Amino acid sequence: MRAAISDVLETMFFMTVQFSENRCTLKEWFSDRKSLFGATISFKGPLSGSLWLVAPVSALNEITANFLGRGKDEISNEEKRDTVKEALNMIGGHGFSLFGRKDTFTLGIPSSIEGLTLIENIQGDSSKNAILIVAGHNRLAGGVVVD
Amino acid sequence: MAVNVLIVDDSFSMRSIIKKTIKVSGLEVGKFLEAADGKEALQVLVNEWVDILLTDINMPNMNGMELIGEMKKDEVLKSIPVVMVTTEGSERRVQEAMEMGARGYIMKPFLPEEIKGTLCSILGEAEYEKKELDEGYEGGDF
Repeated sequence: MRAAISDVLETMFFMTVQFSENRCTLKEWFSDRKSLFGATISFKGPLSGSLWLVAPVSALNEITANFLGRGKDEISNEEKRDTVKEALNMIGGHGFSLFGRKDTFTLGIPSSIEGLTLIENIQGDSSKNAILIVAGHNRLAGGVVVD
Repeated sequence: MAVNVLIVDDSFSMRSIIKKTIKVSGLEVGKFLEAADGKEALQVLVNEWVDILLTDINMPNMNGMELIGEMKKDEVLKSIPVVMVTTEGSERRVQEAMEMGARGYIMKPFLPEEIKGTLCSILGEAEYEKKELDEGYEGGDF
């Protein structure tokens, strides 16, 4: 999934990507938890489960502005939600194609979820497996939950 | 010759980025049309002539594969070249789309050059096919 995250954020959003090996919790990773936007998408195939992505509003201002080629002040909340969903959709599809093109994974329709709710739902082992992403100057997180 | 392009994707951000990519590619576009799913696309096609259609696969209401299926049932719509622009990249899915009648397949994330290259190639072929038909008609083959 890391390769897919890098490819999508670098190709479509023009952001340099690094991954943190910090073992902090998601709540510690995001200092301002009130302004988080999240998205999830289900998948079926040889394995089934869901993928998730969370980004703070500050990151989304930059990411969406890069994506749409507009100024940061011109971006609506609806566009930010749409960007998180589409980024996750691309990460999922690209990730599965990198994982093994001969296996068919079917992705669901991405849906928005309030970021704080999402990170509260990611508990236990799933939280430990969260991928902590540094994109430009922004902190994001994502992961896979297998059923 | 300016072409009309229909972009079908449930993400308006993605529709915007595809539109922007086509604009900067230098392709002469008469009209950009947009639809959020297959059903909306069919409604657009009732009223507008489209030279090429770019569609996502994974959409609510009517997905991209179902859209191609509906277009194939119509004598006029089946001639419109369709390009899939999608995250779904399994070999089986690509093959399925091409068998359904898609003329091209672009995986997200894509580079602007991929969109430009695919559209120019398909529109070039379409123009050639149209010329052949026109010449055949003028030549008295009918």
